[in-house]
Amino acid sequence: MTTATVSRWDRFRESFFWYSFKRDKVAILSTLVLVLMVFAAVFAPLLAPTDPYDLAQINIMNSELPPAGLDGSDPAFPLGTDAQGRDLLSTILYGTRVSLLIGFGAVVLQAALGILFGLLAGYLGGKVDSILMRIADVQLSFSTLMVAIIVGAVFKASFGNLMFGEIAIYMLIFIIGVAEWPQIARTVRASVLAEKKKEYVDAAKVMGFGTPRIMFRHILPNTLSPIFVIATVQIANAIISEAALSFLGLGMPETQPSLGSLIKSGFDYIQSGSWWITLIPGLVLVVLVLVINLLGDWSRDVMNPRLYKG
Amino acid sequence: MKKLLTAVVGSMALASAPLAVSAEANKELKMAFDSDPVTLDIHEQLSGGIMQLSHMTFDPLLRWTKDLGFEPRLAESWERIDDKTMRFKLREGVKFHSGNELTSADVKFTFDRLKQSQDYKAIFKPFSSINIIDDYTFELVTSEPYPLLLNTATYIFPMDSEFYSGKTEDGKDKSAIVKHGNSYASEHLSGTGPYVVTERQQGVRVEFERFDDYWDTESPGNVGKIVLTPIKENNTRVSALLSGGVDFIAPVPPTDLKRIKRDDNANLVTMSGTRIILFHMNQDRVEAFKNPKVREAITYAINQEGIAAKIMKGFATPAAQMSPAGYQGHNESLEPRFDVAKAQQLMKEAGYEDGFTITMMAPNNRYVNDDKIAQAVAAMLARINIKVDLKTLPKAQYWPEYDNRAADMMMIGWHADTEDSANFYEFLTFCPDEDTGAGQYNAGNYCNPEIDALVDKANVETDLDKRAAMLKEVEQRLYDDAAFVPLHWQDLAWASRKGVQIEPILNVMNFPYLGDLVVE
Repeated sequence: MTTATVSRWDRFRESFFWYSFKRDKVAILSTLVLVLMVFAAVFAPLLAPTDPYDLAQINIMNSELPPAGLDGSDPAFPLGTDAQGRDLLSTILYGTRVSLLIGFGAVVLQAALGILFGLLAGYLGGKVDSILMRIADVQLSFSTLMVAIIVGAVFKASFGNLMFGEIAIYMLIFIIGVAEWPQIARTVRASVLAEKKKEYVDAAKVMGFGTPRIMFRHILPNTLSPIFVIATVQIANAIISEAALSFLGLGMPETQPSLGSLIKSGFDYIQSGSWWITLIPGLVLVVLVLVINLLGDWSRDVMNPRLYKG
Repeated sequence: MKKLLTAVVGSMALASAPLAVSAEANKELKMAFDSDPVTLDIHEQLSGGIMQLSHMTFDPLLRWTKDLGFEPRLAESWERIDDKTMRFKLREGVKFHSGNELTSADVKFTFDRLKQSQDYKAIFKPFSSINIIDDYTFELVTSEPYPLLLNTATYIFPMDSEFYSGKTEDGKDKSAIVKHGNSYASEHLSGTGPYVVTERQQGVRVEFERFDDYWDTESPGNVGKIVLTPIKENNTRVSALLSGGVDFIAPVPPTDLKRIKRDDNANLVTMSGTRIILFHMNQDRVEAFKNPKVREAITYAINQEGIAAKIMKGFATPAAQMSPAGYQGHNESLEPRFDVAKAQQLMKEAGYEDGFTITMMAPNNRYVNDDKIAQAVAAMLARINIKVDLKTLPKAQYWPEYDNRAADMMMIGWHADTEDSANFYEFLTFCPDEDTGAGQYNAGNYCNPEIDALVDKANVETDLDKRAAMLKEVEQRLYDDAAFVPLHWQDLAWASRKGVQIEPILNVMNFPYLGDLVVE
């Protein structure tokens, strides 16, 4: 067992993937920033000076304090406070957590649906293919935001605000996940179509393996690299979608701010002096999405067989 | 001969004056308010927005001047006949937008309709009847001597009785007042006012054009067309003004006052206001609110000064009562009570130490920073373990919810229609009564008949000192009972681009007299 692990690690260290990673400063820096942000988000309850979700801790008299170093700032609030008196640093840490959770969660859901339907459509072909891909076409002809706005509004109206506040995060994962699965399904289908004509598939068939086994154990591993690339981009997309929805007031409630709702809550003040309420979470969002996109770009270059060592 | 010539020229000038004025009214005004009128029926709802519409498209019998005096409008003059009767003389030759001429019959039609209106009937309760003497003379009669008769008459905007009578094509009564419904009057309008509604798309824009046959030819107003666009976002509204997209905006959010002052092309007007912002605690929906200790705890938990200083940026006066300074009922001894420890203690005494969950609703485009105030109040209540499910919604959706008393705590802002303390109590704290319209906006269902009786007594008291003493006692008792949660009196602010002379047409009631607006 130990030898197997070691050898796998060794194999990874020998790989082109690791080789090109070590040489790419942008990739290293992006990974570093991303890991740092994920770490900060995961350990937010330990790192944050206050709990921004606990309304009893915020005091209106502390509202709109500027970040440290500016006139009138309070050392207790290094990044300043928002209009309701929340500590911005804590709120951003918690907000990043929400944004990341929604980003990853939505992509896991998208990938599950997309891989399943993509494999089925590509491998089985015929009617199954037509039906699944037409559903995907229909789904793609609605913009994600529009679907999310409608579903979100209906849920909000039917559950009441307090209830919605509790389930909002799952709702957003569900909405964004379901609305975007065709992106992955199409990619998977295309790779499957290319793979299924190869000899190893014929060999597996000759050996008498069942369709599910061939699909999941033989074809799927060979289509993983495009899925991996598209998934990175989709995480960034999901985070942006969540921020957009929250900005429109249909995402996370103001009592549990995500980065998007934080940006929105500062919008009224941006031109009247309190720029930090919008600007700092905005920067965090930009950096987060940027590093994920850079990593996605880099992995696309590395995993693209046509660019391989060329 | 020369004398004669001057006379002829003079009379020609006089004769052509009306034409000259209407020909001059060629300026266009684009204005952005936080919302547009929810209906065209001025008797459907008693609200600031509808009053503003009334002053644009109708004319009252008389109106308040800037210094709170009276100015004759459709009533040319008035005289007291006895201590219960006032005789009014109507202006002759006034035309409605439909072309019909204004007579006493129209005033009677309006008076009767006001008596039926859910929102207005409480204001008109002291009035017993209207006597028509001739086409241009009528008398208003009150059942008791009523000191506020003229104040109330500013609410009579004569409506076109011929236009609003009869049946529509599908058999509905044209004069019907339907709350939040599609009545004839809510979509059609014929008044005597300076502007005619030419196009209206609810929530998008309303277009007004100057009425060619407007009676007030002496009005300096030179605006021929007004386009009203609702812009809910504070920041966007201010940007629209500063970028030159609109010429006149209201309200101006406190956060942007400095920004507008700094701008050379903008003109800012502020006034300290008399509109009280408060929360009701609905006793019919929440058992705990029946306990005066719980209500008191809530008033102790809320930091009025904090809200006024931080959210309103000092652009409001923290309140502990409804009557602002200067009103007869204003009681100087009442001060905001903010003390979280005391509030927690009171909750403990009441047996609600662990708190409970309530729902709260507030509009998000009606009062200055209304949604932010509600959020802050929700956070303050968390300190005494009251968990708040807060919903903020645009006023077009908020008022129907308000009329249904859809949440446990609801926000309302009230400006005394009669510029008198009693008006607050009659609408906001009287025992709710559908028939008389008392307590029409009392979303707390607070009911104390003794206080109501005291207010009624004060209303027929003509000795002003005695009346003031009674009203002050009412204010004190409401305070002791924690009947509601007072927050602050909201200041008023408007802004326009340079050249739009808004200063002379604005007043503390927040009814801009746009008919008299001069644009350079």
